[in-house]
Amino acid sequence: MSHSVTDKPTQAPTGADSAPSQAPRRRIGVREVLTFLLTDRVALLVVLLAVLLVWMNILDTGGYLIAPYDLAYLFTSLEMAVPLCILALAELIVIVSGRGGIDLSVGAMVSLAGMAFGFMVGEWGWPLLPAVAACLVVGAVLGAINGFLVAYLGFPALIATLATYYAYSSLALVSNDNAPISTQPIQDLNSLTDPVALPFGLPSVPMQVFTFALPTVLLVWLLMNRTSYGRKLYAVGTNDTAARFANLSVSWVRFRAYLLSGLLSGVTAVVTVAQYASARPDAGTVGNGMALPAITIAVLGGVAIAGGIGRVGGVVIAALLVTWLNAGILLAFIGSEGSQYQLFALGVVLIASALLNTYMVRRRGGT
Amino acid sequence: MATTMTSPARSGAKTRRVTARAVEGQELALAGVLAVLWLVLSLVTDTFLTTSNLQNILFTVAPIALIGIGMTAVIVTAGIDVSVGSSLAVAAVIVAKLLRDAGVNAPTALLVAVGVGAVLGLINGVVVAYGRIHAIIVTFGTLNLFRFISLRIFDSQQVTGVPDTLEFLGGGAAGRTLGVPNAWWLVMAVGALVWLYMRYAPTGRHLYAIGGDATAARLAGVQVERRLVAVYTLTGVLVGLAACISIGGGGLVQQNIGTGLELQVIAAVVIGGTSIIGGRGTVLGTLLGALLVGTVTSAVTLLQWPSELTALFIGIFILIAVGVDLIRERRRRSR
Repeated sequence: MSHSVTDKPTQAPTGADSAPSQAPRRRIGVREVLTFLLTDRVALLVVLLAVLLVWMNILDTGGYLIAPYDLAYLFTSLEMAVPLCILALAELIVIVSGRGGIDLSVGAMVSLAGMAFGFMVGEWGWPLLPAVAACLVVGAVLGAINGFLVAYLGFPALIATLATYYAYSSLALVSNDNAPISTQPIQDLNSLTDPVALPFGLPSVPMQVFTFALPTVLLVWLLMNRTSYGRKLYAVGTNDTAARFANLSVSWVRFRAYLLSGLLSGVTAVVTVAQYASARPDAGTVGNGMALPAITIAVLGGVAIAGGIGRVGGVVIAALLVTWLNAGILLAFIGSEGSQYQLFALGVVLIASALLNTYMVRRRGGT
Repeated sequence: MATTMTSPARSGAKTRRVTARAVEGQELALAGVLAVLWLVLSLVTDTFLTTSNLQNILFTVAPIALIGIGMTAVIVTAGIDVSVGSSLAVAAVIVAKLLRDAGVNAPTALLVAVGVGAVLGLINGVVVAYGRIHAIIVTFGTLNLFRFISLRIFDSQQVTGVPDTLEFLGGGAAGRTLGVPNAWWLVMAVGALVWLYMRYAPTGRHLYAIGGDATAARLAGVQVERRLVAVYTLTGVLVGLAACISIGGGGLVQQNIGTGLELQVIAAVVIGGTSIIGGRGTVLGTLLGALLVGTVTSAVTLLQWPSELTALFIGIFILIAVGVDLIRERRRRSR
C-alpha cells in the first residue's frame, strides 16, 4: 500500500484519469477534493478501503459479526490476496498492451504450470529451487504461445486466450488423469505458507506475502515505471500506429506482455500448490476460475480495457479492497450466504466503479 | 482437412460481389470439416452414426446453439455477453421452482423463462448502451450479480423433483418430432428468423454497421443505443428458452447450472466465423460451429478417450477457424 503513494507522481502522465492531480490547484475546497477523489482511481480506492475498514469495525463493535474483524483476521486473509494480486498484475500488463489485450488463460496456466511443478517436486523428486525455476519457465512458455498467437499471428487476444484456456486446462486435467498430486514432498511445501511472526506485537502474516507477493509487486512496478520496456508498453497500448512510427517493435513488445503474464501465472502456480499442499489439476479453472476475478480486480484498479492506462498501485489496492471486503462479508453472513454475497459485492463494485469512471471522464469533457 | 478449408475460400475470392453471398466461404469450409469428421467417425466407430447418438448430439448442443444465435448478434455489434451462464441459472431456478411448487403449465413456464431472460438481457443492454462501458466489463459484473441472484433463489439447495411439464423440450422420446429433438427444431426456427433478420432487415444490417464503426453508424442515422439494447435483450430471451431446454424432462436442477456456458457459446460463435472485433458473422456459421463442438464432444466419448481432451480439441478448432479467417482476411486486403 505504501508504494502506491510513491508511484502517484511518476505515473501521472500515462493515466488520463490522473490529469487533475497535475493541474495547478488555485484553492483547495470541498469541490476540488471531491473531484480529485472521484477522478484519481488510487485515491478513490484508498477512500473506499478506509470506508470499508471503518464500516466493518462498526459492525464488529456492534456485535453483528460472527468473529472479530481485527488486524489478525485481516492479515490472515491476505493469503487470498496473493494469487489474486499477482494474476491481476498479469492482466494489468496484458490489458495495457492494447488492441483488445486480455488474458483469459491465466487460470488454466496456473493449473498446468502447477501440475508441472507437482510432477517435478512430488513425483520426480527435484529440489525446490530448480523446480520453482522450471515452473516459472513452463508458465513463460505457455504465455509465449499466447504472445505468439496475438502479437505475431494477429489473433484477437480474447480468442487466442480463450482457445489456449481450453487447451491448457484440458492438458492439466489429462496430465495426471484428473487426480491431484499430493505426495509427501508436495505436502511439505505447505511450510512455504506458514504464518510469519511480526515485531511490535503485530499479528502474523502468511509467508507468501513476503516471499512472493511483495517481490512480484515491486518488480512489476519497477518494470512498468522504471524501465524502457514499461514506457514502450504504455506507448504501444495507447496507440500502436504511433508507436510503430516511433520505431518501436510493436509485436515484440506485445509478445513479451503475454510472456510476462504466463510467467506471473507460473509464480501463482507455485503459491497455489504450496497453499493447498497439493497440485490440483483444476486449481485455476474450477468454478468461475481465476481469470475472471483477476480481470475484475484489474479493471476495478483503474486499468482501461482499451489499453495504455493502468497503474500498479491501483491494482494492488483493488486486490486488497476485494480481499478484505470478501473477508468481511464472510463474517457478516452465516454459512454459504457469505460466498453468495461476495459475488454480489464484486459485481456491484465492478460496474459501479466503471460507471463512475465513464461518468467523470464525460463530465470533464475528456471525450 | 486442410484442402477442404482453403479451396472454397480461394474460389470465392476471385469473384467479387457487392452483395453478401448467401453462404460464406467460412461456412462452406466448416460444413466440409463437419462432413469429413462425420464420415471418419462413422467409419471408425460403429456407434457414431446411430439415430440415438445423432439425436443426443443435436439435443446437447441445442442450448449452446440457441444462445449462440443471440451471441452472434451481440458479437457482430462488437460486443460480448459473458453473463449468459448466470442468467440461464436464474431463469432455470425460477422456472424449476414454479413448476414444482406452483405447478404452472408449460406455456406459463415458457413465458416466465422468456420474461426473466429478457429482463436480465435488458439490464445488460441498457448498461452497455447508455452507460458506455465496455460490454465485457458490464457482463463480467452481471455474471457475478446474476449468479448471486440465482443462488439466493436456490436457497443453498438444489431443486429436486421438478415435474416433467417441459418434457416436449427435453431429451427423452416425448421431446422429439420426426425423430429430431424439438429443442433442435426450435434452434432452426429461431436461427432462420434471426438469419433472415440480420441479412435482409434494415435494422438487422445496422448491427453490422455498428460493429464496423459505431461512430460512423451513428452519424449515418443508426439508432445505436436501441439496437444494442435489442441484441442483448434478444440474447436474454434465448437464454430463457435454453433454460427450459436444460430443465426439459424435469428431475434435478443443480446450483452450478450454466457455469462455464458462456465460453462454450463464444467458442461456437467464433468457430462459426464471427469476428470478435465485430462487423462480420452469420447465424448459420454459429449453428455449424455449435454442431462441431457437439460432434467433438461426442467423438471423444465414443473413441473412449479421456473426456477432458474435449476442451483441447475445442481450443484447437478455435485456433484453426480463426487462423484460416485471418489468412483469408489478409489475402483479401492484399488483393
